[in-house]
Amino acid sequence: MTRTRTGNAGGDSRVGSGPMDDPVLRPPLTRPVVTLWGVGLAAVALTVIAVISIDFGLGALVDGFDDVVSLAERMLPPRMPDPPRIASLAVETLLIALLGTVIATVLSAPLAFLAARNTTPHRAVHAAARGLITFCRAVPDLVFAVLFVRAMGIGVLPGVLALALHSVGMLGKLFADAIEQSDPGPREAVRATGAGPVRELVNGVLPQVVPAWIGTFVYRIDINLRTSVVLGFVGAGGIGFALQDALRGLVYPRALGIVLVIVVIIAALELASIAIRRLLLNPESSGPKRPSAGPGPRLSPPWTVQRLSTTIAAAAVALATGYALVSLRINPLDVLWSFGDVVEVAGRLLPPDFGMVGDRLGAAIVETLAIGMVATAIGVLLSVPIGLLAARNVAPHPAVYWAARSVVLVVRAIPELILAVVFVAAIGLGPIAGACALGLGSIGLLGKLVADAAEEVDPGPRAAVRSVGGGWWQELFSAVLPQTVPSVVGSSLYLLDVNIRTSTVLGIVGAGGVGFLLFEAVRTLNFEFAGAIIAIIFVIVYLIERLSGWIRAQVM
Amino acid sequence: MAGTATVPAGDPRPVIGVRGLTKRFAGTPAVDDVDLEVRGGELVVLLGLSGSGKSTLLRCLNGLHRPSSGEVDVLGCRVDLAREGRLRRLRTRIGFVFQQFNLVGRLSCMENVLIGALGRVRGPRYGVLSYPKSMRREALEHLDRVGLADRAFQRADTLSGGQQQRVAIARTLMHRPALLLADEPVASLDPENAAVVMELLFQVCLEERLTVVCSLHQVDLALGWAHRLVGLREGRKVLDQPAAGMSRHDVMRVYERVAQPQPEQPTPPRAQSEAVA
Ligand SMILES: Nc1ncnc2c1ncn2[C@@H]1O[C@H](COP(=O)(O)OP(=O)(O)OP(=O)(O)O)[C@@H](O)[C@H]1O
Ligand SMILES: [Mg+2]
Repeated sequence: MTRTRTGNAGGDSRVGSGPMDDPVLRPPLTRPVVTLWGVGLAAVALTVIAVISIDFGLGALVDGFDDVVSLAERMLPPRMPDPPRIASLAVETLLIALLGTVIATVLSAPLAFLAARNTTPHRAVHAAARGLITFCRAVPDLVFAVLFVRAMGIGVLPGVLALALHSVGMLGKLFADAIEQSDPGPREAVRATGAGPVRELVNGVLPQVVPAWIGTFVYRIDINLRTSVVLGFVGAGGIGFALQDALRGLVYPRALGIVLVIVVIIAALELASIAIRRLLLNPESSGPKRPSAGPGPRLSPPWTVQRLSTTIAAAAVALATGYALVSLRINPLDVLWSFGDVVEVAGRLLPPDFGMVGDRLGAAIVETLAIGMVATAIGVLLSVPIGLLAARNVAPHPAVYWAARSVVLVVRAIPELILAVVFVAAIGLGPIAGACALGLGSIGLLGKLVADAAEEVDPGPRAAVRSVGGGWWQELFSAVLPQTVPSVVGSSLYLLDVNIRTSTVLGIVGAGGVGFLLFEAVRTLNFEFAGAIIAIIFVIVYLIERLSGWIRAQVM
Repeated sequence: MAGTATVPAGDPRPVIGVRGLTKRFAGTPAVDDVDLEVRGGELVVLLGLSGSGKSTLLRCLNGLHRPSSGEVDVLGCRVDLAREGRLRRLRTRIGFVFQQFNLVGRLSCMENVLIGALGRVRGPRYGVLSYPKSMRREALEHLDRVGLADRAFQRADTLSGGQQQRVAIARTLMHRPALLLADEPVASLDPENAAVVMELLFQVCLEERLTVVCSLHQVDLALGWAHRLVGLREGRKVLDQPAAGMSRHDVMRVYERVAQPQPEQPTPPRAQSEAVA
């Protein structure tokens, strides 16, 4: 209450009288408002510090733009010298993504039951499982890949395992969250039939969570495909290998050809995954139900469109997984044995040698954080306008809408690391290339989220603004933006999360950050030092995740 | 039809024997020193206000809750002493109908009914086709009995509340219980559906000569169908008497509160407006 007082002498006498005699012309400072401003100011201050610390000047940007243009000239026209080889590498990339996701699902399903509060056998098991999931999420996939390539040699299997382990971080968490949100009633009904604890979960809980799990699985394949195209950079299989080859040899037209292939594949899969999700998760689209008219009672479920598509999709995933094992020459037993290698690598990282944590590591970590901050700032500045234009109900013209949507879709289809490679080739090694790549890449994520948020705004306030004679700009600032602020803040924090995680691996392609030291440490077999760096990355990512979770809870 | 209201002559062996049953939640007794005996083929209705301990008592009978003290003997098994494995075997012989139906909404009615058979099949089951054909035929017969055979492959959550509870009853029949416990099976249905579903349930139970303990809020239904009425008030048994000859008035005594707290004095309007300003 006291905060609403303006400090004049009449403050006390106002208590108990009507609000009309002393109008408060300034909005009261409520807690969310204070937090929002505090976070906003801190973000601006940190961004300025970050910009200074990596010497990110406007001049650099302008020069960089010229360099990118001249690089683009050298890349044109794109060429594709050996189509069969590129095609087989592209297929290999797809299969790696699929296999990694399938293995992650197999690992995550039981882990999720241990990690969900309502199905875990014990509190300690719950904590351990959640901890393991968080660890998998906090260690970037490429870090896993580098370690596994070191332990098992160059090949496809390390890439598959790296994708699988990192994916457990997301699948395990979302699977467990779905279990925690399930209705306890059906479980109790199963228990009341005298079935044991396992069948209680299989028949009482699993049917409830399957749709959410499928949605998560499809979404994760999408993400893994993006990563699998760059696994080749560290020798873990796929089309990234050919791309790196082309770049190393400075054969830019061929590199562009490969990048275009990647973009087309990812965009096609994006569209396919939208269609699949729509088909699998929207029930009751199969028209009116008729009682079965056949002779005699029907004892098996009828073939509805829904059942048919689910069955075909399941069979397709199973077949593709089998084909992946055969064509990538992966023996399922090798996958099992390889977990021995994984454990062995983990063992070599221990104990982490923090003795070598010197100035260089400190500086590299600051640089990593700075890249993440600057990239997020660039991302927000670019994505908010583009995202708004990519909202069907905000865009002033359908052509603008389609143009903005296409920009978002194309950027989404280019993995950040490939953007980083391009920027490194254009403006040279260092954190500025990394920040530009991540910032530009942010449009793919944040632009889409902003557009979706804007399309969901309540049309009422806009009609109100129009009815008092407001134009497009007034409508935007008085009706659309205020409604999207909470979700834009939330999405930006999520973007910061993602960008800092990615900036820890930019070092692979020489775009700055702590990744360079990490890969050096692994290359020179200095595993204890690598262990220390991984531990620090884990702590940073974990803290950022907690911090952004806290801020989101305050603001929303 | 209804209103036989005489204790069946055959099978005098007690199916349920409860002595001094107390169940506390965080120190507060929900069921307090209750004795109860139910013989084979008897249909007993539990009455009582909300919070009087009806659900708690029923859940102590099949071991979904562990008693704090007292003896619970059901179908020859000491529920209060039994280990989890023994309880599970006991539960395969006790049907339970829940107030909230507890169907898996996404699954078809057929699969929900088949879940009732889990206690008598081995190995994991998932999906209608994982159950043998004979069981599917049986499930369809039970659905037919509750009038829903034509809905067998419709998703359970697309049915009305009354239809869902009928599916749940079919699930319990699939279970082939020797004893049926029902916890306010019609509390979330409208009065008309409630009467239809309840009569269906009681009719089936009488036909199958099932022993039934059912908690209920509908006094008239209870008087019409039960052999015996048991009343609970604040966890204690306050009525236990054959239904034959009882009047509605006799039963309503169960619902009288012991000490009714005075309703709080409403705040005067003037004071309220000051508090707001
Ligand atoms: N799992 C539980 N944890 C704590 N208290 C409980 C629990 N279950 C029941 N209680 C308490 O025990 C008392 C009796 O509850 P119970 O559900 O048995 O009543 P009821 O007669 O079935 O009421 P209703 O008609 O509303 O279903 C209530 O005071 C309730 O708050
Ligand atoms: Mg109850």
